[in-house]
Amino acid sequence: MIKISPGRVALGVVGLGIGVVGISALREATLSTHEPTTEPFTELVVSARQHATEKGQTLDEMVEAQLLTCRLEVSSDFEGPIEPLGDGEFRARLVPALDETNRRQFRGCVEDFMIDGLQVDILEMHGGPD
Amino acid sequence: MKIIAWLAGIGTLLSGAVYMVVSLNRWEWNRALFFGLIVLIAEVGLATGLVLRRLARLEYTANRPDPTILKLLRENRPPTPDRFAWLRDSAARDLNVFITFLVGGGVLLSGMAWVVDRVASRSSNPMGEERLAGQLEAISYPRGGLLLDDITVLAQEVPGANDDQIRQLLRRGGRR
Repeated sequence: MIKISPGRVALGVVGLGIGVVGISALREATLSTHEPTTEPFTELVVSARQHATEKGQTLDEMVEAQLLTCRLEVSSDFEGPIEPLGDGEFRARLVPALDETNRRQFRGCVEDFMIDGLQVDILEMHGGPD
Repeated sequence: MKIIAWLAGIGTLLSGAVYMVVSLNRWEWNRALFFGLIVLIAEVGLATGLVLRRLARLEYTANRPDPTILKLLRENRPPTPDRFAWLRDSAARDLNVFITFLVGGGVLLSGMAWVVDRVASRSSNPMGEERLAGQLEAISYPRGGLLLDDITVLAQEVPGANDDQIRQLLRRGGRR
Protein backbone atom coordinates (compact mmCIF):
# COMPACT_ATOMS: atom_id res chain seq x y z
CA MET A 1 0.00 0.00 0.00
CA ILE A 2 1.31 3.40 -0.93
CA LYS A 3 1.92 5.67 2.04
CA ILE A 4 1.14 9.33 1.50
CA SER A 5 2.41 11.88 3.96
CA PRO A 6 -0.13 14.19 5.65
CA GLY A 7 1.65 17.23 4.25
CA ARG A 8 1.07 16.05 0.73
CA VAL A 9 -2.57 15.33 1.50
CA ALA A 10 -3.00 18.84 2.92
CA LEU A 11 -1.28 20.33 -0.08
CA GLY A 12 -3.53 18.40 -2.43
CA VAL A 13 -6.64 19.51 -0.55
CA VAL A 14 -5.52 23.14 -0.70
CA GLY A 15 -4.80 22.88 -4.41
CA LEU A 16 -8.15 21.25 -5.04
CA GLY A 17 -9.91 23.98 -3.08
CA ILE A 18 -8.13 26.72 -5.01
CA GLY A 19 -9.02 25.05 -8.28
CA VAL A 20 -12.70 24.65 -7.37
CA VAL A 21 -12.97 28.24 -6.14
CA GLY A 22 -11.20 29.57 -9.22
CA ILE A 23 -13.35 27.62 -11.65
CA SER A 24 -16.50 28.67 -9.78
CA ALA A 25 -15.45 32.31 -9.88
CA LEU A 26 -14.68 32.10 -13.55
CA ARG A 27 -18.01 30.44 -14.22
CA GLU A 28 -19.78 33.16 -12.28
CA ALA A 29 -17.94 35.86 -14.18
CA THR A 30 -18.74 34.42 -17.58
CA LEU A 31 -22.31 33.42 -16.97
CA SER A 32 -25.05 35.45 -18.62
CA THR A 33 -27.54 36.55 -16.00
CA HIS A 34 -29.83 39.14 -17.48
CA GLU A 35 -31.94 41.57 -15.53
CA PRO A 36 -34.35 44.28 -16.62
CA THR A 37 -33.03 47.82 -16.93
CA THR A 38 -34.79 51.06 -16.41
CA GLU A 39 -32.64 53.09 -18.78
CA PRO A 40 -33.95 53.55 -22.36
CA PHE A 41 -30.60 53.29 -24.11
CA THR A 42 -26.87 52.86 -23.66
CA GLU A 43 -24.48 55.29 -25.24
CA LEU A 44 -20.87 54.43 -25.88
CA VAL A 45 -17.80 56.27 -27.13
CA VAL A 46 -14.97 54.21 -28.56
CA SER A 47 -11.44 54.93 -29.67
CA ALA A 48 -10.06 52.96 -32.58
CA ARG A 49 -6.70 52.60 -34.30
CA GLN A 50 -5.56 50.45 -37.16
CA HIS A 51 -2.19 49.07 -38.14
CA ALA A 52 -1.09 47.30 -41.34
CA THR A 53 -4.60 46.81 -42.62
CA GLU A 54 -5.62 46.01 -46.16
CA LYS A 55 -5.64 48.80 -48.73
CA GLY A 56 -8.97 50.49 -49.25
CA GLN A 57 -10.30 49.63 -45.82
CA THR A 58 -11.06 52.77 -43.87
CA LEU A 59 -11.12 53.04 -40.11
CA ASP A 60 -14.78 54.06 -40.17
CA GLU A 61 -16.00 50.93 -41.92
CA MET A 62 -13.78 48.67 -39.83
CA VAL A 63 -15.15 50.15 -36.60
CA GLU A 64 -18.67 49.84 -37.95
CA ALA A 65 -18.09 46.19 -38.84
CA GLN A 66 -16.71 45.41 -35.41
CA LEU A 67 -19.50 47.16 -33.55
CA LEU A 68 -22.18 45.52 -35.70
CA THR A 69 -20.63 42.11 -35.11
CA CYS A 70 -20.55 42.64 -31.37
CA ARG A 71 -24.08 43.95 -31.40
CA LEU A 72 -25.15 40.44 -32.42
CA GLU A 73 -23.94 39.11 -29.07
CA VAL A 74 -26.33 41.25 -27.07
CA SER A 75 -30.05 41.85 -27.26
CA SER A 76 -29.85 45.47 -28.41
CA ASP A 77 -29.60 47.28 -31.73
CA PHE A 78 -27.95 50.48 -32.80
CA GLU A 79 -30.19 53.48 -32.93
CA GLY A 80 -29.02 55.70 -35.73
CA PRO A 81 -25.64 55.67 -37.43
CA ILE A 82 -22.28 55.26 -35.80
CA GLU A 83 -21.09 58.83 -35.54
CA PRO A 84 -17.40 59.65 -36.13
CA LEU A 85 -16.11 62.24 -33.67
CA GLY A 86 -12.70 62.66 -35.25
CA ASP A 87 -9.28 61.61 -34.06
CA GLY A 88 -10.28 57.97 -34.23
CA GLU A 89 -13.23 58.29 -31.88
CA PHE A 90 -16.82 57.21 -32.56
CA ARG A 91 -20.14 57.42 -30.75
CA ALA A 92 -23.07 55.03 -30.97
CA ARG A 93 -26.31 54.37 -29.12
CA LEU A 94 -27.76 50.96 -28.29
CA VAL A 95 -31.46 50.40 -27.68
CA PRO A 96 -32.66 48.98 -25.38
CA ALA A 97 -30.09 49.63 -22.73
CA LEU A 98 -27.59 46.95 -21.84
CA ASP A 99 -27.76 45.32 -18.47
CA GLU A 100 -24.58 44.58 -16.51
CA THR A 101 -23.89 41.23 -18.12
CA ASN A 102 -24.45 42.55 -21.62
CA ARG A 103 -22.23 45.50 -20.93
CA ARG A 104 -19.37 43.26 -19.93
CA GLN A 105 -20.00 40.98 -22.85
CA PHE A 106 -20.21 43.83 -25.33
CA ARG A 107 -17.08 45.51 -23.96
CA GLY A 108 -15.20 42.25 -24.14
CA CYS A 109 -16.26 41.68 -27.71
CA VAL A 110 -15.41 45.20 -28.86
CA GLU A 111 -11.98 45.19 -27.24
CA ASP A 112 -11.17 41.66 -28.39
CA PHE A 113 -9.17 40.57 -31.46
CA MET A 114 -11.98 40.53 -34.00
CA ILE A 115 -10.61 42.14 -37.17
CA ASP A 116 -6.95 41.91 -38.13
CA GLY A 117 -5.09 45.15 -37.53
CA LEU A 118 -7.90 46.88 -35.65
CA GLN A 119 -7.92 47.71 -31.96
CA VAL A 120 -10.98 49.33 -30.43
CA ASP A 121 -11.18 50.56 -26.83
CA ILE A 122 -14.37 51.70 -25.14
CA LEU A 123 -13.85 55.12 -23.60
CA GLU A 124 -17.34 55.63 -22.25
CA MET A 125 -20.36 53.41 -21.77
CA HIS A 126 -23.27 54.80 -19.84
CA GLY A 127 -26.98 54.51 -19.75
CA GLY A 128 -29.35 57.22 -20.84
CA PRO A 129 -31.85 59.06 -18.62
CA ASP A 130 -34.97 57.27 -17.43
CA MET B 1 21.45 27.14 -20.11
CA LYS B 2 19.08 24.36 -19.13
CA ILE B 3 17.92 26.34 -16.10
CA ILE B 4 17.18 29.35 -18.31
CA ALA B 5 15.17 27.16 -20.69
CA TRP B 6 13.20 25.62 -17.84
CA LEU B 7 12.51 29.04 -16.29
CA ALA B 8 11.42 30.44 -19.66
CA GLY B 9 9.04 27.55 -20.18
CA ILE B 10 7.55 27.81 -16.71
CA GLY B 11 7.26 31.60 -16.97
CA THR B 12 5.52 31.34 -20.32
CA LEU B 13 3.13 28.76 -18.95
CA LEU B 14 2.22 30.78 -15.87
CA SER B 15 1.89 34.16 -17.60
CA GLY B 16 -0.12 32.60 -20.43
CA ALA B 17 -2.44 30.96 -17.92
CA VAL B 18 -2.93 34.22 -16.01
CA TYR B 19 -3.67 36.20 -19.16
CA MET B 20 -6.03 33.48 -20.34
CA VAL B 21 -8.06 33.67 -17.13
CA VAL B 22 -8.07 37.47 -17.26
CA SER B 23 -9.24 37.42 -20.88
CA LEU B 24 -11.97 34.93 -20.03
CA ASN B 25 -13.08 37.13 -17.18
CA ARG B 26 -13.29 40.07 -19.59
CA TRP B 27 -15.29 38.09 -22.15
CA GLU B 28 -12.48 38.43 -24.66
CA TRP B 29 -12.75 35.00 -26.23
CA ASN B 30 -10.24 35.40 -29.03
CA ARG B 31 -7.59 36.68 -26.64
CA ALA B 32 -8.38 33.81 -24.29
CA LEU B 33 -8.00 31.32 -27.13
CA PHE B 34 -4.68 32.87 -28.12
CA PHE B 35 -3.29 32.71 -24.61
CA GLY B 36 -4.72 29.22 -24.19
CA LEU B 37 -2.74 28.19 -27.25
CA ILE B 38 0.40 29.69 -25.71
CA VAL B 39 -0.26 27.75 -22.51
CA LEU B 40 -0.77 24.57 -24.49
CA ILE B 41 2.50 25.02 -26.39
CA ALA B 42 4.41 25.72 -23.19
CA GLU B 43 2.80 22.76 -21.47
CA VAL B 44 3.70 20.39 -24.30
CA GLY B 45 7.25 21.73 -24.31
CA LEU B 46 7.67 21.31 -20.57
CA ALA B 47 6.13 17.83 -20.62
CA THR B 48 8.43 16.79 -23.45
CA GLY B 49 11.39 18.14 -21.52
CA LEU B 50 10.39 16.20 -18.40
CA VAL B 51 9.93 12.98 -20.35
CA LEU B 52 13.27 13.39 -22.11
CA ARG B 53 14.98 14.07 -18.79
CA ARG B 54 13.49 10.94 -17.27
CA LEU B 55 14.51 8.89 -20.32
CA ALA B 56 18.05 10.23 -20.07
CA ARG B 57 18.19 9.16 -16.42
CA LEU B 58 16.91 5.68 -17.28
CA GLU B 59 19.46 5.38 -20.07
CA TYR B 60 22.25 6.44 -17.73
CA THR B 61 21.13 3.92 -15.13
CA ALA B 62 20.85 1.12 -17.70
CA ASN B 63 24.28 1.81 -19.19
CA ARG B 64 26.03 2.06 -15.86
CA PRO B 65 28.36 -0.95 -15.40
CA ASP B 66 27.93 -3.48 -12.63
CA PRO B 67 29.72 -2.18 -9.51
CA THR B 68 31.00 -5.66 -8.64
CA ILE B 69 32.68 -6.08 -12.00
CA LEU B 70 34.05 -2.56 -11.78
CA LYS B 71 35.51 -3.32 -8.36
CA LEU B 72 37.12 -6.54 -9.62
CA LEU B 73 38.67 -4.74 -12.54
CA ARG B 74 40.07 -2.03 -10.28
CA GLU B 75 41.49 -4.55 -7.85
CA ASN B 76 43.20 -6.51 -10.64
CA ARG B 77 44.58 -3.48 -12.36
CA PRO B 78 48.23 -4.10 -13.38
CA PRO B 79 50.74 -2.25 -11.25
CA THR B 80 52.19 0.98 -12.50
CA PRO B 81 55.59 0.29 -14.11
CA ASP B 82 58.48 1.51 -11.96
CA ARG B 83 60.75 3.13 -14.48
CA PHE B 84 63.46 3.92 -11.89
CA ALA B 85 63.71 0.48 -10.38
CA TRP B 86 67.25 0.15 -11.70
CA LEU B 87 68.29 2.80 -9.20
CA ARG B 88 67.34 0.47 -6.35
CA ASP B 89 67.86 -3.00 -7.75
CA SER B 90 71.46 -2.60 -8.81
CA ALA B 91 74.15 -3.62 -6.38
CA ALA B 92 76.28 -0.64 -7.28
CA ARG B 93 73.55 1.82 -6.43
CA ASP B 94 75.89 4.74 -5.84
CA LEU B 95 77.48 4.24 -9.23
CA ASN B 96 74.14 4.33 -10.95
CA VAL B 97 73.37 7.61 -9.28
CA PHE B 98 76.75 8.91 -10.33
CA ILE B 99 76.07 7.93 -13.95
CA THR B 100 72.74 9.65 -13.82
CA PHE B 101 74.27 12.87 -12.56
CA LEU B 102 77.10 12.56 -15.06
CA VAL B 103 74.76 12.25 -17.99
CA GLY B 104 72.55 15.01 -16.70
CA GLY B 105 75.53 17.25 -16.04
CA GLY B 106 76.83 16.55 -19.53
CA VAL B 107 73.56 17.60 -21.00
CA LEU B 108 73.57 20.79 -18.92
CA LEU B 109 77.16 21.61 -19.82
CA SER B 110 76.49 21.00 -23.49
CA GLY B 111 73.56 23.38 -23.31
CA MET B 112 75.62 26.05 -21.60
CA ALA B 113 78.43 25.64 -24.16
CA TRP B 114 75.96 25.98 -26.96
CA VAL B 115 74.64 29.19 -25.41
CA VAL B 116 78.18 30.59 -24.98
CA ASP B 117 79.01 29.71 -28.58
CA ARG B 118 75.93 31.46 -29.84
CA VAL B 119 76.67 34.56 -27.79
CA ALA B 120 80.31 34.63 -28.87
CA SER B 121 79.39 34.32 -32.54
CA ARG B 122 77.22 37.38 -32.15
CA SER B 123 80.06 39.43 -30.59
CA SER B 124 82.20 39.62 -33.80
CA ASN B 125 81.10 42.46 -36.04
CA PRO B 126 82.75 44.82 -38.59
CA MET B 127 83.17 47.59 -36.03
CA GLY B 128 84.99 45.23 -33.70
CA GLU B 129 87.24 44.06 -36.50
CA GLU B 130 88.18 47.64 -37.39
CA ARG B 131 88.94 48.38 -33.77
CA LEU B 132 91.14 45.28 -33.51
CA ALA B 133 93.02 46.26 -36.68
CA GLY B 134 93.72 49.65 -35.17
CA GLN B 135 95.04 48.06 -31.99
CA LEU B 136 97.33 45.75 -33.98
CA GLU B 137 98.79 48.68 -35.84
CA ALA B 138 101.25 49.26 -33.00
CA ILE B 139 102.96 45.93 -33.43
CA SER B 140 102.80 45.69 -37.23
CA TYR B 141 105.83 45.82 -39.49
CA PRO B 142 106.93 49.27 -40.68
CA ARG B 143 105.23 50.29 -43.89
CA GLY B 144 108.52 51.13 -45.57
CA GLY B 145 109.81 47.64 -44.93
CA LEU B 146 112.80 46.53 -42.97
CA LEU B 147 116.16 48.11 -43.67
CA LEU B 148 118.09 45.37 -45.40
CA ASP B 149 121.70 45.29 -46.12
CA ASP B 150 123.10 43.94 -49.36
CA ILE B 151 124.30 40.77 -47.79
CA THR B 152 120.81 39.83 -46.71
CA VAL B 153 119.38 40.62 -50.09
CA LEU B 154 122.04 38.67 -51.83
CA ALA B 155 121.52 35.80 -49.37
CA GLN B 156 118.16 35.14 -50.97
CA GLU B 157 119.92 34.22 -54.15
CA VAL B 158 122.13 31.72 -52.50
CA PRO B 159 121.33 28.26 -53.72
CA GLY B 160 119.81 26.14 -50.93
CA ALA B 161 118.77 29.17 -48.85
CA ASN B 162 115.15 29.20 -50.06
CA ASP B 163 113.54 30.19 -46.80
CA ASP B 164 109.85 31.14 -47.05
CA GLN B 165 109.89 32.87 -43.71
CA ILE B 166 112.70 35.15 -44.79
CA ARG B 167 110.89 35.92 -48.02
CA GLN B 168 107.76 36.75 -46.07
CA LEU B 169 109.75 39.01 -43.81
CA LEU B 170 111.41 40.82 -46.68
CA ARG B 171 108.36 41.10 -48.90
CA ARG B 172 107.69 44.76 -48.19
CA GLY B 173 111.27 45.77 -48.54
CA GLY B 174 111.90 44.09 -51.85
CA ARG B 175 115.20 44.16 -53.57
CA ARG B 176 117.19 47.26 -53.89
